[in-house]
Amino acid sequence: MTLSILAFWCLAVALVGSALAVVLTRNLFHSVLWLALALTSTAGLFLTLDAEFLAAVQLLLYAGGLITIVVFAIVVTKRMVGERIAHTSRRIGGGLVVAAALFAALFRVIRTAPVSAIRPPMPGDITKLMGDAILTRYSLAFELLAVLLLTALVSAIYFARPED
Amino acid sequence: MGLSSYLTLAAIVFCIGLFGVVTRRNTVGILLSVELMLNAVNINLVAFSRFHGQTLGMIFTLFAICITVAEVALGLALVILLFRTRRTVLADEIDLLKG
Amino acid sequence: MADPTLPIATALLLPLLSFLLLGVIAPLRRLGRGAGYVSLLLSCGALAGALLGWQRTFPEPEPIRLLTSWLPAHAGPLASVGLLIDHASTMMLVLVALVSCLVQAYSLGYLHDEPRASLGRYYAYQSLFAFSMMGLVLAPNLLQLFICWELVGLCSYLLIGFWYQRPAAARAAVKAFWTTKAGDVGLLIGIVLLWRHAGTLELLDLRLLAESGRLAPAGLSVITFCLYLGAAGKSAQFPFHIWLPDAMEGPTPVSALIHAATMVTAGVYLLFRTEWLFALTPDVLLIVAFVGAFTALMAAVLACVQTDIKKVLAYSTVSQLGYMMAAIGSGAAHAGFFHLLTHGVFKALLFLGAGAVIHAVGSNEITHMGGLARRMPQTVIIFVIGTLSLAGMPFFGGFLSKEEILAAVWAGGHPVLCLVLLVAAFLTAFYMFRVVFLTFFGVPSEGRGSAVSHHAAATDGPPHSAPHAHDPPLIMAAPLWLLAIVSMAIGLYFTWQHPAPEFAAAARDTVATVPVPGWLSPLAVVVASSGILLAWLTYQRRTIDATRLAAAFGPIRHAALARFWIDDVVMLAYRGGLLAGARAIGWVDRYLVDGVVNALSAAVVMGADRGRRVQTGRVQDYLYGVALGLLALITWIGWAR
Repeated sequence: MTLSILAFWCLAVALVGSALAVVLTRNLFHSVLWLALALTSTAGLFLTLDAEFLAAVQLLLYAGGLITIVVFAIVVTKRMVGERIAHTSRRIGGGLVVAAALFAALFRVIRTAPVSAIRPPMPGDITKLMGDAILTRYSLAFELLAVLLLTALVSAIYFARPED
Repeated sequence: MGLSSYLTLAAIVFCIGLFGVVTRRNTVGILLSVELMLNAVNINLVAFSRFHGQTLGMIFTLFAICITVAEVALGLALVILLFRTRRTVLADEIDLLKG
Repeated sequence: MADPTLPIATALLLPLLSFLLLGVIAPLRRLGRGAGYVSLLLSCGALAGALLGWQRTFPEPEPIRLLTSWLPAHAGPLASVGLLIDHASTMMLVLVALVSCLVQAYSLGYLHDEPRASLGRYYAYQSLFAFSMMGLVLAPNLLQLFICWELVGLCSYLLIGFWYQRPAAARAAVKAFWTTKAGDVGLLIGIVLLWRHAGTLELLDLRLLAESGRLAPAGLSVITFCLYLGAAGKSAQFPFHIWLPDAMEGPTPVSALIHAATMVTAGVYLLFRTEWLFALTPDVLLIVAFVGAFTALMAAVLACVQTDIKKVLAYSTVSQLGYMMAAIGSGAAHAGFFHLLTHGVFKALLFLGAGAVIHAVGSNEITHMGGLARRMPQTVIIFVIGTLSLAGMPFFGGFLSKEEILAAVWAGGHPVLCLVLLVAAFLTAFYMFRVVFLTFFGVPSEGRGSAVSHHAAATDGPPHSAPHAHDPPLIMAAPLWLLAIVSMAIGLYFTWQHPAPEFAAAARDTVATVPVPGWLSPLAVVVASSGILLAWLTYQRRTIDATRLAAAFGPIRHAALARFWIDDVVMLAYRGGLLAGARAIGWVDRYLVDGVVNALSAAVVMGADRGRRVQTGRVQDYLYGVALGLLALITWIGWAR
């Protein structure tokens, strides 16, 4: 029990810290790397929630795939610009106020909401359950997801094609 | 740890993401901040799913992750296209809708 | 017994067909004379149909009604259109078809020099007029009558302003339209009131109601007065008569057809058709009679001082319409209708004859004419026949109808009005023969050449110099002769077979009947003859000096030359009242109403100009909005719980 609490706190600190770094650092490339850390911490959080498969997907797809794409994009852009891309922030005060206000509101809701602190036992192995559901009940959505990915890829290629 | 701890953590990450979205000048930076916000949502979904003892939220998270990846790929393509036509990637210099 | 419906319907629809052909098929219209031939042919067909239908109504005592419901409703149709065929309507139909047909033929010669397109336009208007007038004559209810009434008014406007390039013609058209419209407002109000009062507009049903005494007398006089207003506007009764002399700006055949024979008599016809309604309101009848007699006298006086041949005829028309109205007002509607028919024939004849003179001389002014009898022998015969008819000499068209009116007015119990009409008859003979002597006899006036070239621009005929004046070509002469023969035939026929039982005895029971003295008829002849004699002495023998005669009636002549200032008064009312009022309302609209609207729109524009700065075009500023919305939503949910 104490181990899981400790894990949670460590992951929470890592997540919040890396998230802050993502939005605050002045180097775009560092920003991406911090995001990778944040996503990895999230994968850890998923582990604490007994979602091992999701954690793996998070690591592979998100922290792996996404970061690769972004890095590629940055490199391409940099080459096109030929100089370092400005990565500054503006109107920090306004953003701060809005973010803080929203957090306050959310926090108030979370605190007053009747949420349980106990974890009910899952009806079986989570990965197996998810697999069953995806390939039976949600197979249509699954197929559509494939179509969506294909469409996104084709259109990304179309948008980013070299100029004629 | 209870559900509310996870929710609070997700809320914090969400707000940080929001802060980044509204303050970053670079469009790529905005995209990264959006990823943070989505990530926070994913945490929420998984946490609810676990504390309610069913897999629905997790399946949804799976879909969300896939769609997010597609979205990022598309978004970056748009950024590159934008850069080609407008010679800038700074969001505050793109104001075609200015009234 | 053959059914008259089919020929009558044919007569009504052929002019419509002609109008549609000429109106829709532009190349046909632009043919000019070709369009005229089409219109003339169909018009002849209409005349044949009208004659056949008239002949077939003779043994038929009952009116035939043919109705098509137009606005159907649950409890019977709200409005219907159709035909009402009886003696009177078919007789009037024959008159309309005859004059319209002859005028169309005559116009082919008269408007010979007209450009093709405008000649086609002329015939399209003529056809539309013939259709509308026939629809008016055959109208089985007041609604159709009103529609056709407005249509003939429109045709009158279009044809008066046929030469719209001339400012005078355009002004005259507008004046005619305005003045008749003023009366038409009364007619419309009258019809609506009658609908409320009786619940029907069908003439036959109304007549049944009126004669069985089921029509409540309260408020009826308002209705009849309103109807009379419309009739007075159309039939140029005082004070609406001002438009008719100005309407002479149109081509002369138009004046003959519309402003002498048919359209202006529509008012008389309306009163004749609704005489049983007017019989219930003796007060209004009294107004009709007095205004009619006054109009007859006043117009006769005005005609005496005119030098424009068409204006003389126009005032004469007004005067004769006054006669008809006086007869109707005295309760003898049939006498008025009889005079309407004979007057239609011989006045059309006179106008067309005057048109022949104008065509030959190139001027409207009788002072520029003179001694035309030798050069235009046919025309002078025709014109004198028409003039004798108008003067009411025995054996001519207008004799009996005028005697009937005098007798009817006497029998209606208005000896004073009878006297007034006798004076008017004297003046009628005088001014008509003044025209005859000045135009056809006597010496040609001096310095005509310059005068003609001066006036050529202001008249409608092509400029000819008088020495070359000659009789009109066959296409114009034939209608003239036909009308002259019809006019004579009417006179002779009715002399041989006096229609007294039908017309004189028509004085209704509701009006006090006074026996007509036997000396009235000879007296009228004597009066007319003395008028002719005076004209002969003054303008032919020159025994009486015309200037001294004029000086004897100095003030009256002066007033008559100024048209009794009625036009001025109306103009003053128009300028001072209507235009000033319109200007005031225009000011209110322009500066108050528009001001409020403009201020509002300026405020909106200013606000929008400020407000548009909210739209920065930057996506992040919009995201603030999203975030604030989310915040508001959450707060709201939090508060609600």
